[in-house]
Amino acid sequence: MSFTATRSPGIGEALRESAVFNFEGAVTMVIDDSPFALELTMRALNGFGLKTRHACASAVEAISILKENPIDLILVDSDMPGMTGFEFVRWLRRSKLEPNAFAPVIMTAAHVRQSQVAEARDCGANFLITKPFSSLTLLERIVWVSRDNRPFMEVGDYLGPDRRFKSEPYAGPERRADEIRRKAGKE
Amino acid sequence: MTTVITHNRRRSRLSSLIDQPGGISTRIALKQAAENLAGLESQSLALVEETIQKLADMSPPASIDEVHDKLKEAYALSAGIIDAAGPFAREDLCRAATNLCDLLDGSPVDQMFDWRIITVHAQSFRLLLILPEEQAEARKQVLASLQEVLKAKLGA
Repeated sequence: MSFTATRSPGIGEALRESAVFNFEGAVTMVIDDSPFALELTMRALNGFGLKTRHACASAVEAISILKENPIDLILVDSDMPGMTGFEFVRWLRRSKLEPNAFAPVIMTAAHVRQSQVAEARDCGANFLITKPFSSLTLLERIVWVSRDNRPFMEVGDYLGPDRRFKSEPYAGPERRADEIRRKAGKE
Repeated sequence: MTTVITHNRRRSRLSSLIDQPGGISTRIALKQAAENLAGLESQSLALVEETIQKLADMSPPASIDEVHDKLKEAYALSAGIIDAAGPFAREDLCRAATNLCDLLDGSPVDQMFDWRIITVHAQSFRLLLILPEEQAEARKQVLASLQEVLKAKLGA
């Protein structure tokens, strides 16, 4: 049987069965107050070749680790007693910790309250996944955040990846900035 | 006027790691994840049953002062069902639990809450748990009735 490995997809692209990725050596942190949900997430990650280095039952526990250790990927539950996942990500983005303040963050949520929809959008996480989600969805989002090279923006109260997604090439009239660059290049 | 500060694009370490030589394919990763999760399926069901029991055992708020805390507790239990059942393709349980979360989230805390809603949901969860797999139509009806409750209460 022939098997052709393909590069893992960019942001917004579907994950093909043959796509190959390697997460060996990635330092992963999972934060969830539910021990069972924590175990579920860690087992799924383990299947993807991602060993969870730090399993935290609270945001406070995670913060003390983040102050001392660089982390490559963070998965955090939104609804936790004490500091919520949203508050945690907001803290992280403003923490000035290098490189952790810019670490890819996937937030998971069983349910998002109406009053928290804006907070979910504005806290600064790279992605929010609502449950129930399949292992495929989780894997896809992890691959996406690995490829997520959106610049970080500070706009008013917001600090996090640019919230404007561009999965399609821009097809409109030439942008002024591009025009200037093009002209400068010619001169 | 709002100030916009754009930080320089930076490559995360994860973006370098993902393209290291070696690794596994999506197919293998999903197979391994499924195998790892399979061991937790019975524990998931036990947790769902336990959570449903806790929900059914809850007493209604005795006064307006108690409404906020009671709704919060019921909401946490309902979200717990989604947490536990989610990875095991129990969309029916998750949809019923989401319905209850929507209802609890949308209910005012300065009015008494119709506790029959909790009772009906707890009974429906139990029914969804025991319905044989082939009873897809009955499952659909249970979920449709719960949605009707949501519509009636919140106009969703």
